[in-house]
Amino acid sequence: MHRLTLASLLALALISAIGTPLPTLAADTTITISQGVDADTLNPLATTITPTFNVVQHVYERLVDFDTPGKVKPVLAVSWKRINPTTEEYTLRPNVRFTNGDPFTSADVKYTIAWIKNPANRSTQTAYVRDIERVETPSPLTVRLISKVPTAIAPGQTNPVFIVDAKYFQAKGNDYVAEHPVGTGAYVLREWRHDESVSFDANPHWWNGKPKIDHVIFKPIPEAGARVAALETGAADLITNVPPQDAAAIEGGKNTRMTSVPSGRELYIAFQTLNPGPQQKKLVRQAINYAVDVPAIVKNVLGGHAYTLKSALPPQYFGYDARIPGYHHDPAKAKALLAKAGYPNGTGIDFAIQCPIGRYSRDREVCEAVAGQLTAVGIQATVRAQEWTTYAGLVNHRQLTPLYMLGWNVPVADADAVYTALFESNAPLSTYSNPKVDALIEQARGELSVPKRKALYFELAKILEDDAPWIFLFQYEDLYGISKRLVFQPRGDEYIRAYEMSVK
Amino acid sequence: MIAYLLRRALGALGVLVGVAVVVFVIVHLTGDPAAVMMPPEASAAEIAAFRHAEGFDRPLPVQFGVFALNVLHGDLGESLRHHEPALGIALERLPATIELAGAAFLLVVLVALPAGVISAIKPRSAWDYLARIIALVGQSAPTYWIGLMLILVFGVHFGWFPVSGIGNWSNLVLPAVTLGFFSMAKLMRLTRSAMLDVLSSDYLRTARAKGLTPWNILIGHGLRNAWLPIVTQLGIELGTLLSGAIVTETVFAWPGIGRLAVQGVFDRDFPVVEAVVLLAATIFTLVNLGVDLLYAALDPRIKYA
Repeated sequence: MHRLTLASLLALALISAIGTPLPTLAADTTITISQGVDADTLNPLATTITPTFNVVQHVYERLVDFDTPGKVKPVLAVSWKRINPTTEEYTLRPNVRFTNGDPFTSADVKYTIAWIKNPANRSTQTAYVRDIERVETPSPLTVRLISKVPTAIAPGQTNPVFIVDAKYFQAKGNDYVAEHPVGTGAYVLREWRHDESVSFDANPHWWNGKPKIDHVIFKPIPEAGARVAALETGAADLITNVPPQDAAAIEGGKNTRMTSVPSGRELYIAFQTLNPGPQQKKLVRQAINYAVDVPAIVKNVLGGHAYTLKSALPPQYFGYDARIPGYHHDPAKAKALLAKAGYPNGTGIDFAIQCPIGRYSRDREVCEAVAGQLTAVGIQATVRAQEWTTYAGLVNHRQLTPLYMLGWNVPVADADAVYTALFESNAPLSTYSNPKVDALIEQARGELSVPKRKALYFELAKILEDDAPWIFLFQYEDLYGISKRLVFQPRGDEYIRAYEMSVK
Repeated sequence: MIAYLLRRALGALGVLVGVAVVVFVIVHLTGDPAAVMMPPEASAAEIAAFRHAEGFDRPLPVQFGVFALNVLHGDLGESLRHHEPALGIALERLPATIELAGAAFLLVVLVALPAGVISAIKPRSAWDYLARIIALVGQSAPTYWIGLMLILVFGVHFGWFPVSGIGNWSNLVLPAVTLGFFSMAKLMRLTRSAMLDVLSSDYLRTARAKGLTPWNILIGHGLRNAWLPIVTQLGIELGTLLSGAIVTETVFAWPGIGRLAVQGVFDRDFPVVEAVVLLAATIFTLVNLGVDLLYAALDPRIKYA
């Protein structure tokens, strides 16, 4: 090795001396990405967490995917069409092979959906394929996803799943494929050292051409401060979930900079309107929305790294109505509304705001700020913070009352994904019931005409603004710290894809 | 001796059974894994299907019966998150923990013992004050803070050591110092006080009067008689270090069982938490047994029958 280096140096000196231009040697590029946690599995059908999706999507691909923000784009399917109100027909990309050589066909799509639905596999993704009643494969490159009832969002496009190799899965079994992924995607797995790193090499035979970055390493670092340190020392090229207080230091770093994007994740505090209490009165809910100064919270608690919500939808969602003015900070109006509701100066209202700890950026601090602002209009408000896993169980059972914080983010960026899950009377996460709202949500879900569906969502937005089932807070800004050599355009869905990046 | 060992092994088994029961009950009281494992948009029926598939819909005594039966067969269940055998996942992380604990333990022994002895033989000297200040800081500053400070100073500012992850010896320095700091401080104080006790004893005065060399007095008579409390403490520290350093492993992204335990708790991954706790309890019990056996070697008056 020593001799080789010496020889190389001599050769280099000689070439320089005689003035011959040096041949351009394409050096392999490697980047290191640090998220907070490691992948929990490399079986893309056995997980629902974003950091794991970030890892497995380097190997596996979906039929369709989303362009930011929420626009469907072809991946393993080249086109799709509605052949009847309940059937979406996808034409698959020809000549695509899994990295073990198996051809990709409609049988793989059918197997993938069957795998998720099979209770024996204990997949947590059953909700993702709920709308698909059955799968038909009229030809190797045609697949039909059929739903029970007509849906505006095509079956398979609410939460598109990753497509696996049916032959490989059947031959190797679940335990093996959890460690040894084989997909059609941009990269192939080199090595997974649990809790340490996942390394990928570019797939030279990728149907989309070889990716610009040759090697990708995912290195989990749980502690946010240590992640920032890794970026500053060059041990990482991209870090996720930068604490807002560290953003300025990274931006001013010699080799580092910040990049951000409005997140699809919105944060709200819901009223448990199914339980008795002052929160059941619309006037009280409106008063509280006027009492809370969201821009001040964004500025002082999140360092400006969030965007005030005017309604229940972030602007990039289908169905967002820009004409909704939203609530603004008006303590006098809040007091007047409280008096009108029968609670002059907030007397008689004693609210606990339930809050998770560490689930969302500065969650508890936001709750405390809201409580402080409610106190300013006379409402007694205290914060009850709980660790997330306990909190999540209580949310699912509608046991948080009378006010509770929750965040929401779905890749499809469609109003239906918010309204159905969070406002429909029988949804597990809804603590609001309004027959008119239920009817509109159901109508919109089955409405195939885009303008008509949009009009229904506009109507819904107006009702929800007036009824104020939430304190409308803000949508986050996703904060990434990156090395200056990396060309990276953050997406609004928290996905990180090395095949969409390059190195300067 | 063999009878003693058998008695201790039976006792250890009892401890492990107790730990298994306690950890099972505690983790099952902490909440419903479905709330964390299933996506937020999952319907009540989908959540119920998950609970049924994992057996969480059965009464707790029945779940414990299944768990106990499986444990007897060496099966601690499959991780809910990783879909792999929980014991295998924990054992896979064990070498990293042993590496870190070993380095930290070495640091403790190499620094704390000499510093404690020097403090004792030169009380109120500059060395003594320095050692006592280090001991005070080590025992009062949180491990989390020490870790981050070391990262900032020696990783980011000076760039001497990598700030996270496992690799070669340089990756080991900052986490080992962080992990060992608290134990070091404790042991330094203990060594100092044990030595001070011994140094003021009559037999040491006699040894001096006999004209023994200071080295012989210190090591042969002083340290030898101060050993028992120090070795006891060393055993406890080693057991603690090997049981997984939750904070240090998290701060330094060290892939050991401590970090696995934290993630397991956050995920409500019951089998993983049970596997890590049982593994840690086994290590602790074995180290304690080793220390007990060492007593007889250190003090001939102690005999096991």
